Amino acid sequence: MDLFNGFFIPLKEFFMVVIKYAPKFDQAVLLTLELSVFSIALGTIIGLIVTILKLTKFKGLQKIAYAYISIVRGTPLLLQLYFIFFGLPLIGLEFNAFISATIGLAFHSGAYISEIFRGAIISIDYGQEEAARALGMSKIEAFIHIILPQAFKRSIPSLGNQFIIAVKDSSLASVITITEITLTARQFSAATYNPFPILFIAGVYYYVIITILSKSLKALERRLQVDER
Amino acid sequence: MKDKLMIKVAGLHKYYDDLEVLKGIDLDVHEGEVISIIGASGSGKSTLLRCINFLETKNKGDIYVNGKKIRRSAGDINKLREKVGMVFQRFNLFPHKTVLQNVMVGPVVIKKAKKIEARNKALKLLESVGLEDKADVYPAMLSGGQQQRVAIARALAMNPNVLLFDEPTSALDPELVGEVLQVIDKLAKQGMTMLIVTHEMGFAREVSDRVVFLHEGKIEESGTPDDIFERPQSERLQAFIASIW
Ligand SMILES: Nc1ncnc2c1ncn2[C@@H]1O[C@H](COP(=O)(O)OP(=O)(O)OP(=O)(O)O)[C@@H](O)[C@H]1O
Ligand SMILES: [Mg+2]
Repeated sequence: MDLFNGFFIPLKEFFMVVIKYAPKFDQAVLLTLELSVFSIALGTIIGLIVTILKLTKFKGLQKIAYAYISIVRGTPLLLQLYFIFFGLPLIGLEFNAFISATIGLAFHSGAYISEIFRGAIISIDYGQEEAARALGMSKIEAFIHIILPQAFKRSIPSLGNQFIIAVKDSSLASVITITEITLTARQFSAATYNPFPILFIAGVYYYVIITILSKSLKALERRLQVDER
Repeated sequence: MKDKLMIKVAGLHKYYDDLEVLKGIDLDVHEGEVISIIGASGSGKSTLLRCINFLETKNKGDIYVNGKKIRRSAGDINKLREKVGMVFQRFNLFPHKTVLQNVMVGPVVIKKAKKIEARNKALKLLESVGLEDKADVYPAMLSGGQQQRVAIARALAMNPNVLLFDEPTSALDPELVGEVLQVIDKLAKQGMTMLIVTHEMGFAREVSDRVVFLHEGKIEESGTPDDIFERPQSERLQAFIASIW
């Protein structure tokens, strides 16, 4: 009887808390999704621009791109977020928490995404550019129509990894007051004195988001493989 | 018919660092003329073709197309390349585009042609190289010979005045060489101006109006196929021909 109670009563309690609190995460999940989507989209754009800077002939632009990447790689993301949210306002650049977080996360993943793009672009056979140029395309036309689509396809697996990391990194936005999944979990834990089921809920939400993301990327990858034998 | 000067190469020199690869090439290509370029490996055949459409930058000398000197500006060079098509040894088809899209992309992107017109023209060209039924497949699904025929159609889609071929059959299995040579032969009969680097001596002999023998970056000898293959003058050409047969 004791054994029965010792096991099932906590289990029952666990599920009661889960059922009660899981729906209360709706705003938090939405925020995590928004943060992830915006920072991934912006990060991809930054990544592409930085890649182009790196591939230009202009030494000054290349230097800027490399400096950016080495700063992002050389410092922790948490510190970067603190810097944007607490540091920049001191020199007059003040954003609200959500925008700070989005910029910080995008700035961070942009550096990694640009390295992914660059790797993919230089892996494209030089004969491709030559054939495009020999037809009469300008460098830019060849880049847009011939090189980039192939490079993009080739970068999807690594890009997918980076996107998953971006979703997880969005949890760091909790330190600058954004009530996304992680901060919400911390608040509910404190309120209920029962962190176990609460953290379990948070974990499940992340897991589901990331699983859907990675399945979609796999599907996209497969769809883009139609041109391979 | 063969009096209009299409391409003139005058005093062309090309160096890779200290290595002088082309040592003063003069070559006139007239409208409708088919010229084969032969010579040993490393003699500079590819470099010559690539300098003509500026895929390599020459160090000295001039190139004229239709009497106009080509300057080293991006605008001039892109225009030149529209008029001078190139077919590569390794085809270099665009793998992410279907056969039809490969042939359409030049006119659509460069000449801003209407999609429907570019498409109709591409289909006609594919028919002329015998591949109309492959329009919607991707290059990876084609044999080497088929890929090279698509590459020829792709070059033709730009309505070039001249086609340059750099060993168009060297990457092919022997049984696929014939179908590509047939297409080139058909183009020759239609009056296409062509410069063909090739190791297929039998074909060079049959299709060319003129054969140019390159040796260590210089034109050692040039003449009709009969001159070159029956009555070679220089010792080097004699040795080269002996080594080939
Ligand atoms: N990008 C390059 N950098 C340095 N040297 C080069 C380069 N391309 C060609 N060469 C050299 O220039 C010379 C001529 O090369 P080219 O490719 O024109 O010869 P080819 O006649 O086409 O030979 P093949 O029959 O083997 O294709 C060779 O000695 C080659 O090593
Ligand atoms: Mg060669």
